[in-house]
Amino acid sequence: MIKKDDKTMEPPNGKPHKKIDRDDVPESSNHIPPPEAAVLKGGKVNSKTRAFKAVTSIIVDADEEPQKRSSNEADGTKKQEKEYWGNSIGKFEYIFYKFLLVMLYICFGLFRYGQYQYHKMKLRIFSIIYNHAYTPQLIRQDVVPLKKIPKRLAAILEIKPVGDVGGGVTGLLNDASEIVCWTVSAGIEHLMLYDYDGLLQRNVPELRMEIHSNLAKYFGSAHVPNYAVKIPHSNKTFYSLDGIETETDIGNEVGVNDEREKVAIEISLLSNRDGRETIVDLTRTMAELCAVNELSVSDITMGLVDSELKQLVGPEPDLLLYFGPSLDLQGFPPWHIRLTEFYWEKDNDEVIYSVFIRGLRQYAGCKVNVGK
Amino acid sequence: MKVPSIIHIQLIALRRLVVETREQFCFAAKNMFQRIFGWIMSLSLFSWLYVNIQNLLIEVLSVGPVPEHVSFIMDGNRRYAKSRRLPVKKGHEAGGLTLLTLLYICKRLGVKCVSAYAFSIENFSRPKEEVDTLMNLFTVKLDEFAKRANDYKDRLYGSKIRIVGDRSLLSPEMRERIANVEDITKGGDDFTLYICFPYTSRNDMLHSIRDSVRDQLEDKLHSRINIKKFTNKMYMDFYSNKCELLIRTSGHRRLSDYMLWQVHENSTIEFSDTLWPNFSFFAMYLMILKWSFFCTIQRYNERNHSLFEKMYEGLPSILKRKKTPMSLYQFPNPPISVSITGEE
Repeated sequence: MIKKDDKTMEPPNGKPHKKIDRDDVPESSNHIPPPEAAVLKGGKVNSKTRAFKAVTSIIVDADEEPQKRSSNEADGTKKQEKEYWGNSIGKFEYIFYKFLLVMLYICFGLFRYGQYQYHKMKLRIFSIIYNHAYTPQLIRQDVVPLKKIPKRLAAILEIKPVGDVGGGVTGLLNDASEIVCWTVSAGIEHLMLYDYDGLLQRNVPELRMEIHSNLAKYFGSAHVPNYAVKIPHSNKTFYSLDGIETETDIGNEVGVNDEREKVAIEISLLSNRDGRETIVDLTRTMAELCAVNELSVSDITMGLVDSELKQLVGPEPDLLLYFGPSLDLQGFPPWHIRLTEFYWEKDNDEVIYSVFIRGLRQYAGCKVNVGK
Repeated sequence: MKVPSIIHIQLIALRRLVVETREQFCFAAKNMFQRIFGWIMSLSLFSWLYVNIQNLLIEVLSVGPVPEHVSFIMDGNRRYAKSRRLPVKKGHEAGGLTLLTLLYICKRLGVKCVSAYAFSIENFSRPKEEVDTLMNLFTVKLDEFAKRANDYKDRLYGSKIRIVGDRSLLSPEMRERIANVEDITKGGDDFTLYICFPYTSRNDMLHSIRDSVRDQLEDKLHSRINIKKFTNKMYMDFYSNKCELLIRTSGHRRLSDYMLWQVHENSTIEFSDTLWPNFSFFAMYLMILKWSFFCTIQRYNERNHSLFEKMYEGLPSILKRKKTPMSLYQFPNPPISVSITGEE
């Protein structure tokens, strides 16, 4: 019975995705993004000539032929039905259509290229208009006229290839700490940082140092706000620089003033592990509890599951920022994106302030009406 | 300079008048334009051209890669009705019509499965009249679809309809009707339509959690629950795992509790600013074309070989250059090395 279950899981004639293993494709993450994001994030690999080659190659590729035709040959009765609507087409016609499709692709590609340039230009202008100049006052000034700001902000980060500017783990940590600084300045108290492979979770000490030094850059080393870094998966919390011995030992000096009392921002680090797998884990635990009669199936309600998942992962964010070229949720915990507003800039590939502030602006203008 | 209050009031009134007349004028102009446009389109030449171009485009795209599972969030029916000053019911009817049209196009493109968010569990909090209207409309459309799916000559022939969601919230009479329709169309396996009625994704996950737990209790082998098994328990059978393309109309950039499990990993999510009844063939076509275009490139990159490499692979092995491992000392001696300083 189990076997049968596993079989039905395979989507009918779906092609399993293979992991890319070539040198020139940036091996950044184990995540397979959706087509558009994959192509746009590919970097130099996806040059125009390469795209052209890819597009033209479909003429000769037989395996691209839709399966519906081959599967219909299996039984004769079906085939006849198809012919009624003239759907079964000849070899010549098929090639003709493929040729037209390539033409269509090329036209679309040109259009998309124009769009890409337009978006890039727009982003450049935005980055001039919205500039934080490493000054928290300016960020706060940008936020003050907004009608509302989100209570909890989430951001999806991704590692860039080591060779690029801002690439590698250091780049990722830097991006994370920048977002922390903006969030603190904007007055938002909860931030969820998500990265697919959990690199942030694995580099917590470095991250805390990075955040500290970046906050010092914004606020001055005497006024570094307090922050708490939380890993919901292993249920650990770290406060500011507690427990880390720095060479200059700034932590002790600041310890005297009373700003220390209050934590200005709480940062949760999430990874792919907190997504589907956590929900399945929860199911498993519930099954065990049910087996020893501590819980009955009728007790499993929306409220219970929701509160458990809030415990395990955290509350639902209000706004999700993504700093990539095309929306790619990368396995962000599914339970938690119910009403979350998404914001990303098309064809953007950097962690920049204009995305952050424009995201907040969109949120301020949005109207949520559950069901109505 | 201070404006006297009487003049001020007059000014406000005047401005309001201007705004109102402008609004009315815009509405009339829009109506007129639509009527003229409709008239032109009704000319037989134009409609002939339109149908033929559409057919050609569909045929062309259907030879390329197309998504397997396309999903729609049909948002904007009420705003549509409001903008045209029609009763809300008309808006929903127009929306239903759009869905049927797009369904046929998807089927011809080779999409295996379409799902649509017809009614959310949260929608029960709408005014009762509207809920009733929606329910009525739904049953009517359901019967219509069932009839068409069984009609040999109809374009939707051979499709299967499944209503997914929390049925315990529906009236018994309704449930019977749904079961009936599902039974009639059971045989179709070319194309599946999932209507999410009353559905929320969290409810779907909860339902799956419950079923998994129940199964686990009955299972004597104590096999572990894993993601695959969990996904199989969800409403949409084997389309539960992934939805390649999710389209949401009318401008909101959020999922509103729909398809969370299916969409959160590597699906393309498209947001469109048009209202659902206005969502046309070309808008959808462009989205699928975009998906198809990028998918072609992605698959090409994954397949990891160009046409040349493929031909090279096909060559008999004798013709290929072979690399044999060799020790460094087997090489011929390099030329004599001389330094410019003249040292030995």
